[in-house]
Amino acid sequence: MNRPNPLILPMPNEIEISHVTKAYGKLVAVKDFSLSVAGGTVFGLLGPNGAGKTTLVSILTTLLKPTSGAASVGGHDVVRDGAKIRSLIGVVPQENNLDRYLTARENLVLHAKMHRMSPSDYNRRIDALLSLLNLADRQKDFPPKLSGGMQRRLVVARALVHDPQILFLDEPTTGLDPQAKRLIWDYFLSLKGKRTLFLTTHHMEEADFLCDQIIIIDNGSTIASGTAAQLKDMAESSWFYEIEVHSRAEEYLRIFQRLPFIDCSSLQDGQIEVCLKKEGSLGALVEQINPRDLKRISSRQPSLEDVFLKLTGRRLRQ
Amino acid sequence: MMHGSLCIWQRDMRVLQRNISSEAATVMAFPLTFFLTFGLGLKGYIQDIDGISYALFVVPGLISMTAILGAFDDGSWGMWFHRVVQKTIEEYRVNPITVTDIIVGKIISGFTSGFLKGLSVGVCLLLLTGFQFNPLFLLAYLLFIFLGCIVFSCLGSLAGTLIDKPENLGRLEAVVVMPFIFLAGLFFPLSTYPDSVLPYIKALPTTALFDGARLALLTGKIDPVYLAELLLSAAISFILAVRFFEKKMHA
Repeated sequence: MNRPNPLILPMPNEIEISHVTKAYGKLVAVKDFSLSVAGGTVFGLLGPNGAGKTTLVSILTTLLKPTSGAASVGGHDVVRDGAKIRSLIGVVPQENNLDRYLTARENLVLHAKMHRMSPSDYNRRIDALLSLLNLADRQKDFPPKLSGGMQRRLVVARALVHDPQILFLDEPTTGLDPQAKRLIWDYFLSLKGKRTLFLTTHHMEEADFLCDQIIIIDNGSTIASGTAAQLKDMAESSWFYEIEVHSRAEEYLRIFQRLPFIDCSSLQDGQIEVCLKKEGSLGALVEQINPRDLKRISSRQPSLEDVFLKLTGRRLRQ
Repeated sequence: MMHGSLCIWQRDMRVLQRNISSEAATVMAFPLTFFLTFGLGLKGYIQDIDGISYALFVVPGLISMTAILGAFDDGSWGMWFHRVVQKTIEEYRVNPITVTDIIVGKIISGFTSGFLKGLSVGVCLLLLTGFQFNPLFLLAYLLFIFLGCIVFSCLGSLAGTLIDKPENLGRLEAVVVMPFIFLAGLFFPLSTYPDSVLPYIKALPTTALFDGARLALLTGKIDPVYLAELLLSAAISFILAVRFFEKKMHA
């Protein structure tokens, strides 16, 4: 049987998944999945919607039980030692599940109380987090009065209140403006070496910026793993070009898709992106385009998005 | 164990306290309307029941109804809202508390809310009518209300756990809970039922509550069968609420 090799890292592993499968009736969300995450590192699980990322996070945070296989967090089994795991982890879920009948601060206080923190400890910590995430002046507001970005920051603050050893971040910066995103990324980076971060995202830039190790997942299975640089190397054997045409972009895309030397192609914001199997094929490609339609053609470095496109033939957000 | 229940109960009481004025207006409106209509409006047309004026006859039932509807609503809509809409149950579940803590916390919240609502309507109706009760009778009456609130908070939490669509939750209240309340002799004595039907009516936990509570308040008598029926209902509904919630969460 072809099983993905667990990543081998020198530090003790904080998160271990061994041949985990999760099925909902006939639908298999995660198939025979294995990985190891070393302590103090940032791990990224990259994949499109429905790839199985959230199911894996739910298993690791003890919300779901695996159908088969084993998983542990902080050395504790996810099925047997749920309470021990939950005292070690902080979770930023995909949805902003804030309590809309409690103020921003009260949301954080409730979380702290559940972690049995004393008022002197949690008040100090909450003040620091609200200040860090620029929410101090909105702490008495109820979540519906906060913008989407503020709510997201509040969810991140809530996950950090008890200073967890391991953080699970399920698309943590969705809906944030670039400035807030950068603020949170910098904070996550500051935790490197001290805390373990398990991040799911479909933002290539986020994975590239934060993660020490990445697994690309699709349809519940690993399709590639390694560092961001290693993954990009996988795309090095292809040549990436962006083509802008004045009109008929979709028609040209269909034409390109029939060409034998095209490895992958897609339409992104009206721009055709192609990867060629051979470097010398560019001339043959350009011949397909009416010179009057051609606006611009440029080459570029492969990104993690290209890796996914090359491996699956689809874009992450399709 | 139970630390999580306490956190959730404190949260729910904070929210209840914050909304106290709007809650009070809503809670008072329903039983006061019934009292004005049946207790005062129709009292001239209805003769005394077992020597008790009709207005006095309906008051204990109206208080009980407010209490158990409060407990049921808080249990059912509270659980449903936190589970389906707000998804705060999911947030609670990634904290170091147990699933049992969560459901017990919600049941205690439903119970507290119902009990407080019943008490506030009771005070209001007693002031309005000027009826005076023996304090010991009142304690016996509160025992029934206490148990009734536990039963209906558990049943509400169970409904909020199992039912995903809000319209079905509304239907359950309209088609099951309200008929059970009205059938239990809220507005008329059970002696009006035919003998063939009466045993079934008496088997309803709502009858044990409404008839038992009225008997306790007006005469000071605690019917042991009614009390046992309520205790059993409370135990069964608690076990069902906890088991089904645990099952749903661990599915």
